[in-house]
Amino acid sequence: MLLNYLIIAIRTLRRNASYTVINLFSFVLGLTIFVLGGLIVKYEQTHDLFFENSDRIYTVGMVFKGEGIGGSSRDITTYSAVGPLIDAEVGDLEAVARVLIRPRVLTIGDEKINQAVRFADPAFLQIFKFEFIAGDASVLHDPSSMILTESTALRHFGRADALGETITLDNQLDLRVAAVIRDVPTNSHFNSSLVFDNDFEFLAPLSALSMVSSFNIEGRWGGIWSWDHTYVLLPATLDVTWLDAQLGALFDRHKRPDEDEMALGFYASPLVEANLSIFQNIGIPVTSIIQLLSLLVLVIVCVNYTNLATAQALGRSREVGLRKTMGASRVQLLAQFQVESLVITSVGMLGALACLELLIPAYNKVTGRALVLSYASELPTLILTAVLVGLAAGAYPAWVITRSSPIAALRDENRQGRQGAWVRSLMLGAQFAISAFMLALVVVVYAQNLKVEESSYVFPRDETYALQLSSLKMDDKQSRLETLSRELEALPEVDGVALASTVPFATKWSATRLARDKDGSDTAPQINQLYVAPEFVELYDIEILAGRNFNRDINSDRHRSDEPGIYNVLINELAVSTLGFDSPQSALGQRIYGKDDDKETTEMVVVGVLATLPHLGQVNLLRPQVFFMEPEKYSDLSIRLRAGGSMLEAVEAIEEVWEQVIPEYPISGKFLSDVFLQLFNILTVASASLAGFASVALLLALVGLFGVTAFMAAQRTKEIGIRKSLGASTASLVGLMLWRFLRPVLLALALALPCAFIATSLYLDIFSEDRITTQVPILVLAGLTSILLAVLTVGGRVLKVARSNPVLALRHE
Amino acid sequence: MLKLENLTKVYRTQEVETVALNAINVSVNRGDFVAVMGPSGCGKSTLLNVVGLLDQPTGGHYYFFDEDVAGYSEAQRSELRKRNIGFIFQSFNLIDELNVAENIELALLYQNVSRGERRDRVGEVMDRMGIGHRAQHMPGQLSGGQQQRVAVARAVVAGQPLILADEPTGNLDSAHGHEVMELLRSLNEEGSTIVMVTHSQAHADHAKRTINLLDGQVVTDALRAA
Repeated sequence: MLLNYLIIAIRTLRRNASYTVINLFSFVLGLTIFVLGGLIVKYEQTHDLFFENSDRIYTVGMVFKGEGIGGSSRDITTYSAVGPLIDAEVGDLEAVARVLIRPRVLTIGDEKINQAVRFADPAFLQIFKFEFIAGDASVLHDPSSMILTESTALRHFGRADALGETITLDNQLDLRVAAVIRDVPTNSHFNSSLVFDNDFEFLAPLSALSMVSSFNIEGRWGGIWSWDHTYVLLPATLDVTWLDAQLGALFDRHKRPDEDEMALGFYASPLVEANLSIFQNIGIPVTSIIQLLSLLVLVIVCVNYTNLATAQALGRSREVGLRKTMGASRVQLLAQFQVESLVITSVGMLGALACLELLIPAYNKVTGRALVLSYASELPTLILTAVLVGLAAGAYPAWVITRSSPIAALRDENRQGRQGAWVRSLMLGAQFAISAFMLALVVVVYAQNLKVEESSYVFPRDETYALQLSSLKMDDKQSRLETLSRELEALPEVDGVALASTVPFATKWSATRLARDKDGSDTAPQINQLYVAPEFVELYDIEILAGRNFNRDINSDRHRSDEPGIYNVLINELAVSTLGFDSPQSALGQRIYGKDDDKETTEMVVVGVLATLPHLGQVNLLRPQVFFMEPEKYSDLSIRLRAGGSMLEAVEAIEEVWEQVIPEYPISGKFLSDVFLQLFNILTVASASLAGFASVALLLALVGLFGVTAFMAAQRTKEIGIRKSLGASTASLVGLMLWRFLRPVLLALALALPCAFIATSLYLDIFSEDRITTQVPILVLAGLTSILLAVLTVGGRVLKVARSNPVLALRHE
Repeated sequence: MLKLENLTKVYRTQEVETVALNAINVSVNRGDFVAVMGPSGCGKSTLLNVVGLLDQPTGGHYYFFDEDVAGYSEAQRSELRKRNIGFIFQSFNLIDELNVAENIELALLYQNVSRGERRDRVGEVMDRMGIGHRAQHMPGQLSGGQQQRVAVARAVVAGQPLILADEPTGNLDSAHGHEVMELLRSLNEEGSTIVMVTHSQAHADHAKRTINLLDGQVVTDALRAA
């Protein structure tokens, strides 16, 4: 019996070649997207499982009130003081360890490199069982030791066995290579970052960090670095609920009086989720979106098949009638039609697997991931997917075609009947609604990205070169920076230089509470603080709305964090309203109050108001800001180059000056546009991926529309013949048919566009003030484009039918 | 074998009520070869559909092997149908995607006959119908007469005692039509009971008995003069 079904299925598919090709094409496409999406999500969700005890390792993170970067309320990292506190106060744990990633200067032989180095507590190697090629897990107890990965050792020493080699940390501390471990696989959170290059290469004891920097081994309660981690190894007998309770109690014991305002506590999350925090940090639920979109694509494919197969199955009414006459039960007939859809989805799955074999290496190359399609483990899922999709797609046509009585089927009454037509319209509409929705999404996201990029030009990003100074550790740092600034400014290629605590687009930021009355600062709104030299305002063309810029000659302009006093500050326009002043002018000369690190009240006088510019990260958020002039806090040097000159020569000249002034540190600089793009690329990749999904969805919807049009046009040939013989013009027939085919499309748009409006509003909200104002016109345009594409798709077929000879049309029946 | 008592079939649409069969009484005995004649719309096909258990009567009784089946569900009728009735249609109704042998085999497929036995019985009936050499051909490659032979083969392969033929020669030229009628007559002589709807007096003459219908009622029911 099954053989008979298979024979019929294969021959039917062969006979209706164009129908089969359309369906096969959409199944291959849809299943490729769906399986790839699934693999990507699974890959991201199953990092680190190769570590022994991975199910017992947890990271300690923090829950914040309000917004961290990207609006996230959870951060996988926590204060550096938390690890030792857990170790001291929470018993029963097998191990607790911190890993901090800090940019450092390493001297290896004659070479100096800027390098992200991991500094870890000794227990780190107890929690993570790395494979040692040389040395062992005890070496982190020795503050002068260093662990390399195999490929790092090979790269720098030409051999994996680099034991005994010396690496100098920050020009001060000689570390000895005491162990070499095998490279950590790509699918570990240690190697996952969307933005920074912080692959697992150098591992040093945390005690070494405390010897070359102000870092205290006990850690600090306050301040978080997004890439730091605190790990806990739970004994098998305890669970995460217990750990969360312990962490909650620990937070309550140590929290500062006003800390509830910002931090709500700690939380433990399983190691497997550590990788996903990269998505958490950018504030977009990437994995859920991929899952949703690939599912939507698959739904469109199923609807496509359902629609085409229903139209096509109606032409096989006689066969069904005959089989029923001969005693076929409904179940047997349902099975027969399901076999047909199963055959096509199975072949589609094979095609999809072939596509994936080509796509996955390309994806890995582009994204630096190590996705594998392992047939051994994925086979059951793949088969199940093909079967479920086949059953889902084939169910409706099978049900429709087998439900009529044998006589009705034999007389082919289904074909004339309009029953079920609305279901087909509904499916077609649903398909179009999904793809129009996605198209609208893509266009709005794209337009918003353009806007973000355009806004980024408020800063001279292409002519500004930014130097990193935070890793410099020298006794005469201030005077050397002055020399550096002076000599750089003297270069003919350079227009100006400015020291500050940050550069535009950088993600680092700090905030403080400022208020207008002395006691109000505990509950006052958060205001971002920046430390800038007077040149910063000039270099970045920031308009002074009221008052004046900083002046080095005015003593009270020079802020000293460690000395109490009344200092002058600048604020931006947004801070004017945040602090409750009526206008920039009225803020001048006014006092504002905050708290310093020791909780002492500090007093400031506003001497200038600057225009509000987007300083923060990828989304150009506008924030209230307060500016201090405090050289000790400067960590970045902005160099504005003369427009029109050779950028390459300018950078070479800058490097030369650096070599002379600060020979003991390698230069670390990049153009401001690269700082911007580093983060902006995430948005670009996201919108490109979305565009990919949307194009596939739209293509599939159009293919479906084309197929259904072909069948419906064929079905209506008789009607067209009659109308023509009665004198209908080609134009009126085209109009009539277009209206019929497009009605579901129009209804779909009426549904899709409001949904797209809501979805895009959510996205645009991320950009707050810097969002596009053309959202609605863009959505309308996307809708019109969908209609146009639909008209083009059905137009040819409709025209052909409308122009056919009425006699031929009538003979059709 | 079959007995229709006051059997009525009324088709209702929203506005019109059409009486297709008006309280007719007919019985068919084992070994009969009955031709049903009458003008278009007289109820011939309806009668055949009801007799063939494809359609349900609106009123009256239908005794099928002494069993009143008038109120049977589609599932029950389907069960009776596949054991007892073979159908031959005017338009052959062969499945285009299956070859000759597979089309004939279809009638056995729903009867739980083993594959080996199906092959034997299909081969046997094809030889009997003179289409053995066409076994692997697709319907589209055959002439009308050959297609109807395939349909006849399919109607008898499962050994059903009753054959219902709805204008079996309607789509054939006279030579092929004659051939098919000879085939039916020999089947009847071998023991099959046949009820055939036809427009052709000449073909009706092959039958042993002719029933004439008009407006849903039996006008004449006469045995052919031997």
